[in-house]
Amino acid sequence: MVKTVLLVALLFLSACSSEKEAESQADYLRWVGDIPYDPDFDKADFKLCHGDSNARQYFNFGQGFQYEGEKLAMVQEFKNSYKPVGVDDSGLIRIRFLVNCKGESGRFRVIAMDNNYNEMVFDKRITNQLLQITKQLDGWKILPTIEEPLDYYQYLIFKIEEGNILEILP
Amino acid sequence: MKIRLIFMLLFFSTLGKMYGQQNCNSYLYKGDSLKYKACLVSERLAGLYQFSKEFQEVLDVALSIDSTYDYAYRAKSVGYLKSGDFLTWKKLIDKAVIYNPIENLGYRGWCRYQFFGDYKGAIEDIELLDSLISYDIGTSANGDYHLNIARALSYKALGERSKAIEIIETQLADTTHFVGKYDYLHLGVLYLANEECEKALDLFSKQEKENDFAENQYYIAVAHRELKNRSEYIAHLEKAIELYKQGRIMLDGYTHIADKIYLSEIEAELKKAYATSG
Repeated sequence: MVKTVLLVALLFLSACSSEKEAESQADYLRWVGDIPYDPDFDKADFKLCHGDSNARQYFNFGQGFQYEGEKLAMVQEFKNSYKPVGVDDSGLIRIRFLVNCKGESGRFRVIAMDNNYNEMVFDKRITNQLLQITKQLDGWKILPTIEEPLDYYQYLIFKIEEGNILEILP
Repeated sequence: MKIRLIFMLLFFSTLGKMYGQQNCNSYLYKGDSLKYKACLVSERLAGLYQFSKEFQEVLDVALSIDSTYDYAYRAKSVGYLKSGDFLTWKKLIDKAVIYNPIENLGYRGWCRYQFFGDYKGAIEDIELLDSLISYDIGTSANGDYHLNIARALSYKALGERSKAIEIIETQLADTTHFVGKYDYLHLGVLYLANEECEKALDLFSKQEKENDFAENQYYIAVAHRELKNRSEYIAHLEKAIELYKQGRIMLDGYTHIADKIYLSEIEAELKKAYATSG
C-alpha cells in the first residue's frame, strides 16, 4: 500500500516537473531575429542565395556594417528624402531585413518603442517613409566572404524625436 | 580559401562566448543550491551560438530551476541586443538587473549607450552602479572604455560638453586608470569643439603615440586648420587618408563609434584644403 502511494506520488511529481520544463520552452526560430518568408508581406522575387538556414548576421564578418560610401552615404539618403512629421511621437524604430548575396534587400520587418522601452505604434507617415527609404537603399555591399558571398541580416534603428530623425544606428 | 578560413574563425569565435565563465561552485559555497544546479545546466552552452534556439532552450531550463538566475537572463538577452530587438532585450536584461544589480547595471548602461543611443539611461545605470559600490565600476563590455568615459560620452551626446570634459579629465588623472583605445581622441575632440586647439593637439599627440588611426590624423588636421597652419593641415589630411586605406580606423564590429570620421569626409576636407591653400 505504502509502495503504491509512493509510486503515485513520484509519477505525479515527475509529471509536474516535465510540465514545468515544457512550459519554459518557448517557440524559438532557428536564430533570434530570423525572418521567415511571409507571402502577405514579402516580395516573392526576393531570393536568398543559400537558403534561410545559411543566412548570417552583418557582424559575423568582423567588418561592421557594409554600405557603399559607408554609413555616411546611407544617412544622407534619409536626410535627402525623409520629411519630418509634426507629431509628438518619440522613441526608436527598428527595421530589420535580409541582404542577399547579390546585395539586394528584402523581408523588411518593423518594431518600435517609446523612450521607456514600451512597444508603441508610430504615426504611419513616419514609419512608411522610413520603410520606403530603407527599401530603396541600394548600396548594401556583398560581404567579402570569398568566391561564394553569403546572405545576411541587417537592421537600422531610427531615433525619432517629435517626428524628426535624431540619429540612425547602428 | 584564406578568407573563408578567417570568416569561419570570426563566426565560430562567437559560439558559446559569454561575458565570463561561471564558477558554479561559488554558488555552493554561498549555500545557494538552486543556482548551483541552474549554473550546471548553463555549462551546456559551450559550443552553442548565442542566437540559436538551442542556446535559448538551455537557458530556459536553467531558469526553470531558478527563476532568479541573473546570468541566464543576461545571456538570453545578447542575441536580442545584437539583432536590434530593444523590446525583448530590455525585458530580459531588466530581470538580470533586478536579481543582481551590481553585476549587471554597468553592462546594461553600456548597451543602452552603444546599441540604442539611450544616453540618459546609460548615465542613470552607470551612476547608480557607482553609488552601490566602493570599488572601480569597470569597463564597457567590449573593453574599449572605462564606464566613466562612456558616461562622459553620454553627457556629450546630451549636449553637456563641460561635464563630459570634467569626467574624462578626472578619469585620466586617476593613476589606476588604464588608458582606453580612444580616450585621448574623445577628450581632444571635446576641446576642439571648445576652440581650445592647443589642448586638443596635445591630446591628439598622446593618442598618436598610444594608438594612431585615420580619425586622429583628421582631427589633428582640423586643429591645424583652425590655427592657420596650412602645410600641417594638408599633411595630416593626407596621412589620414593613407591610414584609412590601410584600415587603421575607429572600428567596432557592431556599431559606429562616437567621433568616427568617414573617408569621404576626409577627402572632402582635403579638396577644400587644396582649394584654399593657394
